[in-house]
Amino acid sequence: MTLLIGALTVGLILSLLALGVFISFRIFEFSDITADGSITLGAAVAAVLLVHGVHPVIATAAAFFAGTVAGTLTGIIHTRFGINKLLSGILVMTALYSTNLHVMGRSNVPLLDRRTLATQAEHAGAWLFGSTADLRVWGWDVAMRDATMLVLALTTAATVGLLIYVFFRTNLGTAMQAAGDNPQMIRALGVNVENMIVLGLAVSNGLVALSGALLAQYQGFADVQMGIGMIVWGLASIIIGEALVGVRQLGLIITGAVMGSVLFRLLVAIALRGGLNPNDLKLVTAVFVFVALVLPGLVTRLTSRRRRQAEAQ
Amino acid sequence: MLAINTIRKTFNPDTPNQVRALQGVNLTLHEGTFVVVIGTNGSGKSTLLNALAGTFIVDEGSIVLDGTDITRWPEHRRASLVGRVFQNPFSGTAPRMTIAENLVLAARRGQARGLGWALKANVRQQLRDRVSQLRLGLEDRLDNSIGSLSGGQRQALTLLMASWLRPTLLLLDEHTAALDPRMADHVINLSEEIVSRDKLTTLMVTHSMQQASNLGDRLIMMHRGAVLHDFSGAEKQRLRPADLLARFESVRRAELLDESAAQMLRCAYV
Ligand SMILES: Nc1ncnc2c1ncn2[C@@H]1O[C@H](COP(=O)(O)OP(=O)(O)OP(=O)(O)O)[C@@H](O)[C@H]1O
Ligand SMILES: [Mg+2]
Repeated sequence: MTLLIGALTVGLILSLLALGVFISFRIFEFSDITADGSITLGAAVAAVLLVHGVHPVIATAAAFFAGTVAGTLTGIIHTRFGINKLLSGILVMTALYSTNLHVMGRSNVPLLDRRTLATQAEHAGAWLFGSTADLRVWGWDVAMRDATMLVLALTTAATVGLLIYVFFRTNLGTAMQAAGDNPQMIRALGVNVENMIVLGLAVSNGLVALSGALLAQYQGFADVQMGIGMIVWGLASIIIGEALVGVRQLGLIITGAVMGSVLFRLLVAIALRGGLNPNDLKLVTAVFVFVALVLPGLVTRLTSRRRRQAEAQ
Repeated sequence: MLAINTIRKTFNPDTPNQVRALQGVNLTLHEGTFVVVIGTNGSGKSTLLNALAGTFIVDEGSIVLDGTDITRWPEHRRASLVGRVFQNPFSGTAPRMTIAENLVLAARRGQARGLGWALKANVRQQLRDRVSQLRLGLEDRLDNSIGSLSGGQRQALTLLMASWLRPTLLLLDEHTAALDPRMADHVINLSEEIVSRDKLTTLMVTHSMQQASNLGDRLIMMHRGAVLHDFSGAEKQRLRPADLLARFESVRRAELLDESAAQMLRCAYV
């Protein structure tokens, strides 16, 4: 049970990463590898502030803000200096590695005995139920800490998902969508496409950093290596989400990205339990995303070839 | 009023691919004039329209629209004054968004876009009314994505979008060239209706001599990045497709003459 709740919680926390990647990858078709650096940046900023006794909410907000700065940099490097998308992201990601080490002062910052969102949530839960004892949910014993963290992650994911949905229904949000969909058209309608890309990447990386900040507080430490391959994780979540709910409606796509992240985390937890070597995890993730990206094209090619053969006969 | 003062544009200057696409175009359009632009391939028609829309900044000369010098304005800023329909029917609309969303984007052309709700419930009736003027039955499909429409339907919508807020200048670049003949006729009729109803200052590029002689109150013929002929008033109204073809023919003959003269000089001196 603890394992299930843990997987759900991490899945929900990482769904913020997936939503960030959704904005860069699906709205702008920008494979923004900055995410690998900004998730660590978020964790690092939050952890260091928490160690210095800053209020967890403020520390988390600061992490989000730091992420938006990273995204802005990538956006400016791409739009103002004409560096290609992938390279802009690689440059900022590489620079962030050193930045993160500087922010943390070492490669790992533990958060033992610190006041974090996790401990805050636990206190709130204890106050609500009048005790810190384990909860009994449908006959299962659940630690208060695990339960409250799950509720916190769920609330955050739902709120952020809703905010993104609402944003893409506003004048600014529809203009941003159009900037990704058809830049020529929206420029002719008076929108500065370059600014939209910068804004989109800022929000995207802000969400990724927020995800990192929550992850650090949940697992109790920030580590300079924690971001490696995270963009692929986000892509996997989006692809699973699209397979689950389709790509037709924005609300569904957003819900799908969250569901995809949770499902993927569950699958990973099951695979690890079933004996998958943790060292192989990134390899398996990369192969999964590769297959998911080529499979739809392959399937249509095969079916159309079969149809052609059938017609030829 | 639109004043184009001796604008020049050279692509890829000082390279083997150098193209002097605009070589001193001068043109003054009074408000509400509908100008048809014709000319051979590569004569600079699209480049002229792009220069006005701000796709690039001209090398020399100035562009004054409604008393404002817009020569150095970037494209997105000029959009507050300029409405545009492209030759490619897929260029003017966002395929993954719905008809209604596309129209609402156009309804704020050139205006600030904030966090207000884009598709307010009370605009739907207005959207329906204006879309029904296209006579394509699209008013019942406002929530379909644009990507599911035909090129002609998309082009008609682009025309509606470009003219949603009355533009100071409307640019139509061969906007019916990619459509089947019936749809092309329909879009041309719609264009004429809109232009005359709103008295829009319009530049329309076409390769159809039929359109060129039937439409507009002025006609210019471009050649080698400059205006070669300029007809207006009664003279324009008298022009028939055959007259225009004759003009093209004389341009072609002059070209040949140039060629043979150059050939002769080469033989004589090289
Ligand atoms: N972006 C560009 N870069 C380089 N050369 C260009 C560019 N745009 C246009 N040209 C060149 O400028 C010249 C004029 O092109 P333009 O597209 O204006 O012709 P046009 O009159 O619209 O022709 P058509 O009838 O074929 O559309 C051509 O020689 C073309 O190759
Ligand atoms: Mg052209």
